[in-house]
Amino acid sequence: MKNTILVFACLLVWACNQNKTLPIYGERSLQTFEKEGKSIIDTVYATVPPFVLLNQNGDTVTEALVKGKIYVADFFFTTCPTICPIMKKEMLRVYQKIKGDENFVLLSHTIDPDYDSIPLLKDYCNRLGSDGKQWQFLTGQREVIYELAEKGYYATAMPDSTEPGGYVHSGGFILVDKQSRVRGIYNGTDAKEVDQLMEDLFILKAEKE
Amino acid sequence: MRILSLLALAFMCVFAACSDSELVSMKQLSSGAKLYEQHCSNCHQADGSGLALLIPPLQQADYLTNNALLLPCLIRNGAAGAMEVNGKIYNQKMPGNAKLSDAEILDICRFVLQKFPEKPISLEDESLTLALQKCDSVGN
Ligand code: HEC
Repeated sequence: MKNTILVFACLLVWACNQNKTLPIYGERSLQTFEKEGKSIIDTVYATVPPFVLLNQNGDTVTEALVKGKIYVADFFFTTCPTICPIMKKEMLRVYQKIKGDENFVLLSHTIDPDYDSIPLLKDYCNRLGSDGKQWQFLTGQREVIYELAEKGYYATAMPDSTEPGGYVHSGGFILVDKQSRVRGIYNGTDAKEVDQLMEDLFILKAEKE
Repeated sequence: MRILSLLALAFMCVFAACSDSELVSMKQLSSGAKLYEQHCSNCHQADGSGLALLIPPLQQADYLTNNALLLPCLIRNGAAGAMEVNGKIYNQKMPGNAKLSDAEILDICRFVLQKFPEKPISLEDESLTLALQKCDSVGN
């Protein structure tokens, strides 16, 4: 008897893993739609709000860049002495995994836009070995970036004079699906969590819209 | 009782063939390893591999091997400007470590010079200390 239960439990776990789905972050609400004369109730999920930022080439980047794509966002600054180099080493692994697959984009946002000028970001991008298209380095007004971090990506990013380098920020990698919904937050300094992220990218890729 | 345990300790040392100086240097190395993890590994990574063209490697770095005696000052004052390591040009700022004591810096040096060069480099304590004193007198 015990054995049967065990077998069933194993089967269940196995079956569940076969089509693992990722959670959807943020608040949701019910809304009524009119469709072909009938009213339908549907769930509306939180999405990353539209944004207007500049990339390392000085080009304007908006949510249009990631429309219908799966992307990973993170927050950093070029002179960060603490966790950023580790995060970037990990993001480089993600980049190498997704390079050439048009479904994926990586967006790294500076939280020190006063210092991290566009030429500096460009140099940073080149030195990391990014082509600047699939992995872009974004800047903009400080408040806009902080607001986007907190409200859009559930990440912290703010000045703090007691921190080395002068900022606190979460080391999170934020996974966003084709419909701009946050689907996962991973510790970008932890290789195991980043391994998980790299698997989850492909779960989202297989997901039907 | 105390004498007994001292004796036991002495015996253990003899059997483990650990001389006094070896014990000291092992302590320094493990302290250096810890300090490396706290103050260096974020950037240079735990395995000393660095980060792309942003942060130079320490692992088998020609710069480190050829400039071993500059290491104490480098740790204390940091570095800036273009720097060639293994044929590649790096140009990012490395912050200094004003808060580390002389002893701590020397422990890091010993650890780094043991661990990362192709062949471990052992420098006399005196020459490392001297290097550190000199870099302070230059003032930075
Ligand atoms: C904030 C990141 C950062 C931290 C922390 C850091 N370094 Fe560096 N390190 C650099 C950068 C960047 C350079 C290259 C400097 C340049 O281009 O002028 C460098 C250069 C070096 C070099 C010479 C080049 C080479 O690879 O041989 C050595 C040796 C070195 N660092 C050792 C250390 C040690 C030891 C520590 C810890 C006490 C440390 N660094 C902490 C970023 C860092």
